[in-house]
Amino acid sequence: MKPFAYTRAHTVWDAVAAVSAEPGARYLAGGTEMVNLVREGQESPDRLVDIGDLPLTEVRVHGRGVRIGALAKRVHEHPEVRRRLPVLAEAGLSAASPQVRNVATPGGNLLQRTRCHYFRDVRFPCNRREPGTGCAALRGVNRNNAIFGGSEHCVAVHPSDIAVALTALDAVVHTHGPAGERVIPVEELYRLPGDEPNRETVLDHGELIVAIDVPPTPFAARSHYLKLRDRASFAFALVSVAVALDVRAGVTHDVRIALGGVAPRPWRARAAEDALRGRRFDDDARAAAGEAATTGAKPLPHNEFKVELVRRAVVRALSEVEGR
Amino acid sequence: MRLRCEVNGESREVDDVWPGESLLYVLRERMGLPGSKNACEQGECGSCTVYLDGVPVCSCLVAAGQAEGHEVTTVEGLAEGEQLDPVQQAFVEKGAVQCGFCTPGLIVATHDLLERRERPSDPEIREALAGNLCRCTGYEKILDAVRLAADRKAVS
Amino acid sequence: MSRPTKAPDKAPDRITTPITGGVGESPLRPDGTLKVKGEFAYSSDLWMDDMLWGATLRSPHPYARIVSIDLSGAWQTPGVHTVMTYDDVPGEKLFGLEHTDQPVMAHEVVRYQGEAVAIVAADHPETARRAVDKIVVEYEVLEPLTDAEEAVFATDAPTLHPGGNLVRHLPIRRGDQHATADVVVRGEYEVGMQDQAFLGPESGLAVPAEDGGVDLYIATQWLHVDQKQVAKCLGLPNDKVRLMLAGVGGAFGAREDLSMQVHASMLALRTGRPVKIVYSREESFFGHVHRHPAKLYYEHGATREGRLVYVKARMFLDGGAYASSTGAVVANAATLGVGPYEAPNVTIDCWGAYTNNPPCGAMRGFGAVQAAFAYESQMDRLAAELGLDPVEVRVRNAMAEGTTMPTGQVVDSAAPVAEMLRRVEAMPLPPAAPTDSYDLRELPGGVSNTTHGEGVVRGIGYGIGIKNVCFSEGFDDFSTARVRLEVIAGEPTAMVHTAAAEVGQGLVTVQAQIARTELGVERVTIHPADTQVGSGGSTSASRQTYMTGGAVKAACEKVRGLLLDIARERLHVEGQLHLDGGKIVSDRHGVLADLAEVLGDEVIDETVEWRHRPTEALDPTTGQGFAHVQYAFAVHRAVVDVDVDLGLVRVVALDCVQDVGKAINPDAVVGQIHGGSAQGLGLAVMEEIQVRDGKIRNPSFTDYLIPTILDMPPMKVDVLELADPHAPYGLRGVGEPPTISSTPAIVAAIRAATGLAIPRCPVRPEDITGTA
Repeated sequence: MKPFAYTRAHTVWDAVAAVSAEPGARYLAGGTEMVNLVREGQESPDRLVDIGDLPLTEVRVHGRGVRIGALAKRVHEHPEVRRRLPVLAEAGLSAASPQVRNVATPGGNLLQRTRCHYFRDVRFPCNRREPGTGCAALRGVNRNNAIFGGSEHCVAVHPSDIAVALTALDAVVHTHGPAGERVIPVEELYRLPGDEPNRETVLDHGELIVAIDVPPTPFAARSHYLKLRDRASFAFALVSVAVALDVRAGVTHDVRIALGGVAPRPWRARAAEDALRGRRFDDDARAAAGEAATTGAKPLPHNEFKVELVRRAVVRALSEVEGR
Repeated sequence: MRLRCEVNGESREVDDVWPGESLLYVLRERMGLPGSKNACEQGECGSCTVYLDGVPVCSCLVAAGQAEGHEVTTVEGLAEGEQLDPVQQAFVEKGAVQCGFCTPGLIVATHDLLERRERPSDPEIREALAGNLCRCTGYEKILDAVRLAADRKAVS
Repeated sequence: MSRPTKAPDKAPDRITTPITGGVGESPLRPDGTLKVKGEFAYSSDLWMDDMLWGATLRSPHPYARIVSIDLSGAWQTPGVHTVMTYDDVPGEKLFGLEHTDQPVMAHEVVRYQGEAVAIVAADHPETARRAVDKIVVEYEVLEPLTDAEEAVFATDAPTLHPGGNLVRHLPIRRGDQHATADVVVRGEYEVGMQDQAFLGPESGLAVPAEDGGVDLYIATQWLHVDQKQVAKCLGLPNDKVRLMLAGVGGAFGAREDLSMQVHASMLALRTGRPVKIVYSREESFFGHVHRHPAKLYYEHGATREGRLVYVKARMFLDGGAYASSTGAVVANAATLGVGPYEAPNVTIDCWGAYTNNPPCGAMRGFGAVQAAFAYESQMDRLAAELGLDPVEVRVRNAMAEGTTMPTGQVVDSAAPVAEMLRRVEAMPLPPAAPTDSYDLRELPGGVSNTTHGEGVVRGIGYGIGIKNVCFSEGFDDFSTARVRLEVIAGEPTAMVHTAAAEVGQGLVTVQAQIARTELGVERVTIHPADTQVGSGGSTSASRQTYMTGGAVKAACEKVRGLLLDIARERLHVEGQLHLDGGKIVSDRHGVLADLAEVLGDEVIDETVEWRHRPTEALDPTTGQGFAHVQYAFAVHRAVVDVDVDLGLVRVVALDCVQDVGKAINPDAVVGQIHGGSAQGLGLAVMEEIQVRDGKIRNPSFTDYLIPTILDMPPMKVDVLELADPHAPYGLRGVGEPPTISSTPAIVAAIRAATGLAIPRCPVRPEDITGTA
C-alpha cells in the first residue's frame, strides 16, 4: 500500500474541488470497496477524500419518481422503494452481507470495480488495472467472465446488482463535476472495454455521483430481480436478471430486461424485450425472450454455461414476475 | 494522524495513525482491543463486526479516518463487568463456541438482530447472520444460542 | 527451565474457570466465557511493546529458477530492521513432516506459487509489506508440472525432487486378483482441492530469550513436532526452542505443517526483538497445505444379489510441491479405499505425486474423504445397476466386527455399519418441498429470488464413511500428561498439564472432565499447553480425546494410587479405597476422610507417557498389515431440493448417525458432527481452490466460498455408544468421520434429484444444467 493522505469533505463543492485538483485523489464513501482496493493494491491513491459527511443520504419520492441520494443507506429497506421498485429492493438485498449493506452506498455500488480474479490479483497482467499489460483472463480461468461486450483486451464483468436493476428501471445518475452538473442514464454510465479497458465509466476525474433518479414508469411496480450464484448468499452473480413489465390485458405493453454477471456493464437485453413487446405474455413469448436474450453471446472457454443460464434465467424471471 | 472516537463508552485518542490503517487495526493494535477478529480483512467473514454509531459493520472495511468523531462498540463493550450480555451467555450455554474466532463478530451481529427483532424466525436469523462465517460449528448450535437469547430477552 | 525475559500481553494463561461435570456429561467449556467476551488470546492477538512485524516475500511462479535476488530496496526502507533469505537460515535448510524436503526459504528454485523467498522485519506491518515489495527477484520461469498422473508416469515430465516425482505408491492386494463377477460397474471420479479455511490466520510471536534461544507463541496442532523442526532449522538444541500454544482459531489439518514458525524465530534472533507475523487471508491460502485433489478410477464387481466380489481402484493424489503428509494420506486412501464394506478380493493402487501445484497435506478426513466420494458413488451405481435400494446394497455388504479389511487386519471392536444405515434411514424426513406457504429463504437460491417452487426437485442420498483413528503403520504414537494434585485454600485442586493443542474442539473441557472423574475433585485447572511437558502428539487423526484423554486418565490413576497409598498409611486402613466428591472412601467402611485432610501440604505431581496399542507397517508390495489402531464410522442421509433448470441446490436436511464408542462430552460430540458435516457440505457443493497452470485463482473468502448459515440445513444427530475395549472409556475418535460421509450423501441426493452421473465434486450449477 502506497502512503496517502486522508481528508474529509463537508460540501459537494469542496469534495469535487479536492478530487479534481489532484490526479491521484479518489473519493471514499462507505469504504467497503475502496478500503479493500487500496489495501490490495488495485488502487494507489495519493489522497482519499471522505465524502461520508455529505448530505446525500435521502430517499425521496416526488412527482418525477424516486430520488435516491448517492450516500443513502439500506435503500432496499425503504418502504417506498420496496413498494414502487421491487426489482431494486431485491437487487439491493441480494448484494453482499448485512454488515456490508449497512455502510455501502448506492454511488459506490455503481462504481465498484470488477471481481475478475485477474484484476483483483495484482500479480497478474490486467489491462483494466495496468493498461497495456495484457488480459490474463482470456487465457486463464474465465468461468466468471463476460459473454457479452468484452473485447480482446478485457472480458471483465461488472459486479453490481443494483446497476442491473436501475438499468431495467430507466434510472439516471446526477453528477457534479469540475465542468458542472449532468445527468447520465445508468446504462450509459459504463464504457465497454474496447481497447481502453482502464476507462470504465464516462465520468471525468473528480465527477461525483450525487443522486440516482428513478422515473415513474408503468413497468417499475411489476419488476423482479433474480440472481444465480455459487452460494445462497454473499456471492457475486454468475448470471442475474432484472425484469420490469407492463402487461395490459395479457399483452406486453412495455418491458425492460437487463442482465448482470455477463458483461462489463449492466446488459440491456433489447432483443428479448422486442420478443415480448406487443405480444401475448405467455410461455411461448417467454421462451422466445429467453432465446433472444442470448443473441450476440460470445462465450469464453470456461463460461459457455452462462449462455444457457441466461436463457433459462430470463424465462424464470419472467415467470416469477408474472405472479406479482 | 490523530484519531478520536468513543469506544465502548470511553473517549479514546490515538496518535500516529496511518490513513491506510483500518478501524480494525486501530482497535486491535493501537487501542488494546483485540476482541474483534482479523479472519479475512476483506469484509467477507464478519469476524471483525463492531457497532459503528449503533450499526454493525465490518471494521476491517472502515478506514481509520472514517471513525473520527464516531461511536464504536466492540464485543468487549457488551458485557457489564462480570455480567455477560444475554447473547454472550446463550452462546456459552448452547455450545455455540468452538474455536471462537468467529464468535465476537457473531455476538455483535446477533446482539443487533435481537435489538431490532423480538423472537426472529429461523429464516430471519439465517438471513441476519449470513455475513458471519463459522468453520467449526455448522451453525446449528449458533441457531440454538440465538433462539435462547431471543427467548430470554423477550421474557425479561 | 529458562523463561522468556518477558511474556507478551495476551500470553496464554492457565484456565481456571470451574467446570461441573465428569466423563459422560456435557459441562460448558471453561474457555467459553473468555471467547464470548473477546478476551480469549489468539496467536494474532499477542503484543509486546518493542515488537517488530515480519512479512514474507513469496514466489509469483509455480516453477522457476531463481537467477538473482536484490534485497537493497528492502534494506533501504526506513523502519526495516532486517531482511533474510535462504542464506541466513542458521541450521538445517529443509524441513518437513514425513520427508525433509521443503526449504525454509526457496533456494535456487521455487516449486510452487507462494513459496517463501525472503523475509523482512520492520516496525509496522505495512512497512514490512512495502519493504517486501521492494525486493527484486529475477526468475527464469519454467513450465510447471501440474498433473499428478503425468508426474508419476510421463517419461518426459521434469523431475521436481532428487528422488523423483513419486512420494508414495501403495498397492493393496487381497484375495483373487483375477476374480470376475456377474455385475460390474465402473466409474472415474474427481475431487477438487479443498481448503481447511480455518478463520484464525497463521500467526505467532517469537521472543528472543536471554539464553540465546527463542520463545515462540504459536497456533499449531502439534507443539513438539514444530519444536523439533524449528530447532533444527535454527541450529539450536530443542530445549532452547520453547513453544507455548497461543489461542488457535481452528485448524482442521492446516496447522500440522510449519508456516511462519521458523521465519519469525529467525527474525527475532537476528534483531534481538520480539517479532510477530500474522498472515492475511490471501497469504493464508498460500501459507498452508490443502486437501489433496484426487482422480480415482474404480471398478466394482458384484453378484446379482448385490454382494461385492471384488473392488479394483487406481487413485492419484496430487501432493503438490512438497511431501507434507502425502505418504500417510496415500495410505489412508488405499487402506480405506473399499469403504466400510466386505470385499473378498481387492486390488488397489494409490499414488501420491509431487507437482508444481500448491502443497497438499492434512485436512480433516485425510485421504478417506477422496476415497469415500468414489466408493460411495460406486455403491449407488451398483444399486442402480441391480435395481436395489441404495441403503439395501450397502447393508448387504456392510462390514462388522470380525470383518477382514483389505489389509488383512481383522476388525476387533464394534463396527455397527448396517445398524447405522438402518437408523439413519428410519429418521423422520423433512416435510415435502413447500408449495404454497413457504419462505423464499428455504428454497434453492434463497434470498436470490430464483424460484417459488418451479423447477425444484427433491432428492435423497446416503453416504457412509470409515476412518482410522490415531496414527497408523507402526508410528510410535503417544501422548504425555502431567497431573498435579495439591490442596489450595483448603480445597483439593488438580492441575492438568499437557502439550496437546486445543484448536476449538473442546479438549480442555475433556481433560478437566477426566481429572474430575478420576480424582473425585471439584477443582481442576488446565495449564497452558507448552513444550515444558512431553509431547501430546498431534491434534489430528481424531486422536486427542483418545490419546491425551488416555494420558490424562493414566496420570490421574497414578496420582490416585499414590494418594490412596498415603491415605492407607495415614488412616491405618487396608483394602480397596476410592475417591468420591473430595473424600477418601472405603468400599467397606464408607467415607473415611476428606481428601484435603489426608493430602495436607503434600503435592503429588506425576507425568505419564501413554501409548495406544502398537500397530505395524504395511507390506510395501501387498499392503497387508495390522496398520490401524481403531476404525470409526459415520453415516449421513442428505435431502436436497435442486432447481434443475437453474442448477441451484439447497440442502434441506443432513442427518447423521455416528458411533463414538463413548461420548466423553455428548454436546461437544454433536458439535463436532455438525461442524464436520458442514465441511463435507462445502466440498459437495461449493468449495474448491481453483488452480490453473499451478496458480491459485481464488485465494480469498470472496472467491473461495465456504457455507454460510443460509447454506446449512438443520441437522439431526444420533450418537451410538458401542464401546471399543481397546480404548480409554471405550471411546472412538469423533472429529473426522462426519466430514467423510456428508459429501457423498449430498452428491448422491443431487444425482437422485437430477438423474445425472455427476462424477466430480464440488458440484457447480453448470454441472446440473448440463451446460458445463
